[in-house]
Amino acid sequence: MLRRPLIPLLLVLLVALLVWQRQPAADPPLSRTALMMGTLVEIKAYGADRPRLEAALDAAFAEMARLEQLFSPQLADSEVSRLSAAAGPLVVGAETAALLAMGQRIARRSDGAFDMGLGKLKTLWDIEGEQPRIPSEAARARALQGVGPEALRIDGRRIGKSAPDLQIDLGGIAKGYAVDRAVEKLRQAGVVSAAVNAGGDIRLLGDRQGQPWRIGIQHPRRPGAVVATLALQNRAVVTSGDYERYFEQDGVRYHHLFDPRTGQPARGCQSVTVVAADAASADALATAAFVLGPRRGLALLEELPEVEGFLITADGRRLATGGLEGFLQWH
Amino acid sequence: MALAALWQRLTRFDRYLLLALALLVGVSFLLPFGRRPGARVVIAADNRTVFSAPLDEARRFAIAGPLGPTRLEIADGAVRVLDSPCPHKVCIGLGDARRSGDLLACVPNRIVVRVEGEAQGADYDLLSR
Repeated sequence: MLRRPLIPLLLVLLVALLVWQRQPAADPPLSRTALMMGTLVEIKAYGADRPRLEAALDAAFAEMARLEQLFSPQLADSEVSRLSAAAGPLVVGAETAALLAMGQRIARRSDGAFDMGLGKLKTLWDIEGEQPRIPSEAARARALQGVGPEALRIDGRRIGKSAPDLQIDLGGIAKGYAVDRAVEKLRQAGVVSAAVNAGGDIRLLGDRQGQPWRIGIQHPRRPGAVVATLALQNRAVVTSGDYERYFEQDGVRYHHLFDPRTGQPARGCQSVTVVAADAASADALATAAFVLGPRRGLALLEELPEVEGFLITADGRRLATGGLEGFLQWH
Repeated sequence: MALAALWQRLTRFDRYLLLALALLVGVSFLLPFGRRPGARVVIAADNRTVFSAPLDEARRFAIAGPLGPTRLEIADGAVRVLDSPCPHKVCIGLGDARRSGDLLACVPNRIVVRVEGEAQGADYDLLSR
């Protein structure tokens, strides 16, 4: 029996099969999540050197935690809280000053649709708190005193406020900035393919192993469904929508994206998605375009260099800037 | 050649058998049999993994968080939040997670739900919401 060659040949086949079974699948990305900055942060990174990737992700998460300490209005000793509490001008760190200056540029460019001085108004509505409410017109008017693109006087690191009780809220830009910094930490650690996603504020580093990253955009009215997919690399994508944080009363939805002119939730859009070179700009511009509404919002995104975007209007129409053609697929 | 000599010494039955097996091995190279783990639901509470179960086994369960228990359901190849003690119930509104890499989170109750392994084909890598 052993002299028959069938058995050795069967063994060869068996070895071939075992080799195939032991062949690793394509390397999956290293993916980690953490709850921070009031949202879920996910970092995905590709690379063969796993210990190095792990260390890079540690550094990226640590950087975001550092920035949370700096910019959170919930932390009494954060720089933002100290600025809100300051009765007079305050000298802040260079990083905070630079972010405030960037926010002010976008506030000016959007005719005040983006506003970093809405802390009092947000507290008044308490949309993200236990007991959200609809404030009176008089209360809204009081909360809006002193807001606007010129509410902050930025002189290097010295920051002055238009009113002593102006409350600073960087909710529309700080998360994007933290995402940018996390990506910078990954880059410094030698990572060439990664993505950071902080509750929908996304920044892409490189491509996804030779392919563009595929970004699903949440459908504003169908939970769990996507309204569009973007194929991108080395870009930031941020979506602002009226479905993120809201409450309903008498059939009306009250959400967290306030129009600084009225103190009420902006009504023109269901969601706005902005594609830009950095997440901080995309973050602020998504809020600005949402507040401006479909026509002016889209015009703003069209005018700015290296910025594209699309939006879903309040009545469900889908509008996009011309530069997204070839990158955007509607569902 | 040695291989040709071996082939000559085989019976007709052996040859058919070998060809059939070689065909099977060849087909197995094209199919992903056994290479990918089944999809699982992995849940972390306060950044620590506390639960893991197959995505294709229906069940209802609760995960404890600082605000109280968040109740979840695995059914129809998806996981979803049924009820949560958080103030705004955003986690319930997130709907189903069914694709590999899909995430659900109850931020106030510090619970993160992830679908891992090879679930049905994901058509995106990241979700902007």
